[in-house]
Amino acid sequence: MVEIVFLTPFITGLLAFVLPRTMGRQLLVVTGVVHLILSLLLWKNRPDAIFAGYFAVTPEGLLSLLVISLLFFLISIYTITYLKLNNLKAENVFTGFMLLFLSTMTMVTLSDHIMVLWIAIEATTLASAPLIYTHRSGASLEATWKYVLICSVGIAMALLGSLFLTLAMDLAKVDVPMSFSALTPVAELLDPVWLKAGFVFILVGYGTKMGLAPMHTWLPDAHSEAPSPASALLSGVLLNCAYLGIFKTNKIMVAAGLGDFSGTILMTFGLISILAAATFILKQNEYKRMLAYSSIENMGIIAFGTGIGGIGVYGAVICMIHHSLIKSSLFLSSGNILLGYGHRLITDTGNLAGRMPKTFVAFFAGFAAISGFPPFGIFIGELFIIVGAFKAGHYAAAGIFIASLCVIFAGFANQVMKICFNDAPGTTPFAEKAGLVWPQYILLLTSLILCFFIPDALYQTIVDAVNAIGGGLQ
Amino acid sequence: MILHTVNILSSLVLLSVLFAFGSSRIPALIKVIAFQGIVVSIVPFFIGHDMETGGMIFTVATLVIRGILIPLSIHIAIKKVAIQRDVFPVIGYHASIFCGLVLIVAATVISRQLNIPSLSDSRLLFPTAISLLVTGMFLLMARRNAIAMVIGYIMLENGIYLMGTTFSLRALHIVEFGILLDVLAGVMIMAVILQNIKQTFDDVDTTLLRTLKE
Repeated sequence: MVEIVFLTPFITGLLAFVLPRTMGRQLLVVTGVVHLILSLLLWKNRPDAIFAGYFAVTPEGLLSLLVISLLFFLISIYTITYLKLNNLKAENVFTGFMLLFLSTMTMVTLSDHIMVLWIAIEATTLASAPLIYTHRSGASLEATWKYVLICSVGIAMALLGSLFLTLAMDLAKVDVPMSFSALTPVAELLDPVWLKAGFVFILVGYGTKMGLAPMHTWLPDAHSEAPSPASALLSGVLLNCAYLGIFKTNKIMVAAGLGDFSGTILMTFGLISILAAATFILKQNEYKRMLAYSSIENMGIIAFGTGIGGIGVYGAVICMIHHSLIKSSLFLSSGNILLGYGHRLITDTGNLAGRMPKTFVAFFAGFAAISGFPPFGIFIGELFIIVGAFKAGHYAAAGIFIASLCVIFAGFANQVMKICFNDAPGTTPFAEKAGLVWPQYILLLTSLILCFFIPDALYQTIVDAVNAIGGGLQ
Repeated sequence: MILHTVNILSSLVLLSVLFAFGSSRIPALIKVIAFQGIVVSIVPFFIGHDMETGGMIFTVATLVIRGILIPLSIHIAIKKVAIQRDVFPVIGYHASIFCGLVLIVAATVISRQLNIPSLSDSRLLFPTAISLLVTGMFLLMARRNAIAMVIGYIMLENGIYLMGTTFSLRALHIVEFGILLDVLAGVMIMAVILQNIKQTFDDVDTTLLRTLKE
């Protein structure tokens, strides 16, 4: 009964379009709870799919699914208060597409067939595009246009890459179902030339969606123009979904003995992304765009870690989980700042510590966490990646990696200090509702706890996922 | 005889590709993608594989969606827009046609080199697929009119579909249908965005969409 996990939000999503306007708020939370319970049941029982061959439960899919489920539940609680304070014209459309978005992302995590994965990832683009256009402004229209066009064209490249994989099967006369789980054991038999071509196209295609530079240009626009709960979902979990496509294809590459080839490309794209983020974050004057560039940086870190292999892959998966938790909390906090100050520009904010103390705690802790300070998880992840890079002998790459992280930290810190401690136009504190800060606290707390204590089931799943592409703690 | 039909269809598509490179009017481009959509979806009938009922239904569905629904949705979306405007070329028409010719030659040479066994009977099919794909990319990059960019995307998808018919025999129809639905929904969403761009900016020139930077 794997399919029920993504069918539930799909049905409630369709319901939200026809229900009365404010009922959607409750529906979001109810679906969030049901989805979380279903995901946990899936973890416990690991059942077979009804449409085996199209869908399957895999360790890497389970990790992403749990992150999606937890994040959506917390974001839905935030969204209730957010919607009460913001008078959205088409609230039904917003809640409906939020639920459809959840459904499509869940489908990505459970897809096993190469083409079904493609269908699901393209569907995430289509379900999230109306969310970006929620504010109905010229800028949000531009962001939606760029998002739909760039991502659709990018993902079309991934479709081409998937076709090349079928060609690699045809040429080698391998007759198995076109699913990742069936292809990985026979990967060595596949035609290497077309396998490589397929990987490159899939990496460029899903890399566009994941926000890897130089295909990242849609990301800062979309993430900054979307309403904050949608930004949190886009940044926190959608990017992971695209990464999952690359991860699974990389699994085939490693099994085929082409791990060095794919690893080098992943490392290159990763480093370019980190460098691009470092360049643009320094002179950023909008806080939501700054957070978006930080997402590009983190996706670069994850791609880099995956490319290194060994302990680096373990670090990449750790980074992926913690980036989701921390970045979504930061985007939710940025929503509070926008609600309070009413401006996107950093220069129009200031004295966050005095005027919105609760948001300040969440925002500043999130900043420390995303910059890689202990005791948050990104620190451990990045440490593993750096150790992995040195172990594998990539000294120059590790040097660029560390230098870029320092630059990004400097740029980020500069802007965050301005937001938090600069002189503000006024001194009156803003009212901060509990529903607008507790979700962030819980997200950050989860990241903190996971740093010291990882439940056995979770640890084992991470190790299973990582082992498949030649990673591990050794 | 069957081989000839596929080659004739392919050469028709190649001609329409050249026409798209030189075309300055949006309505003409919409006719081109409708034509390509129809031709591309009937290729499986002539390619010589055994067709069972499921394949037949799927091919007809493709024909309806690629040949009629997708061009129609763009047509309806822009009906009230000033479609007499030209496509705002970044690269001129003569240079574009020259690019098109170079592209077709290059595609033919490359597909000879690739030496894909399943293509031995219909030589023009693979070069045509590559040409369609690259033409789509070209329109996306070398035209500033938002409608022309959407048309470029549709051409790109047609090219990928044609490439799929040349070798992905194992792909199941239900999966292909899913892909088709995604493409259709994508084009519909783009059509809605086009309408909104027209209403908000009073034009479809994408240079107006330059407020978000860095």
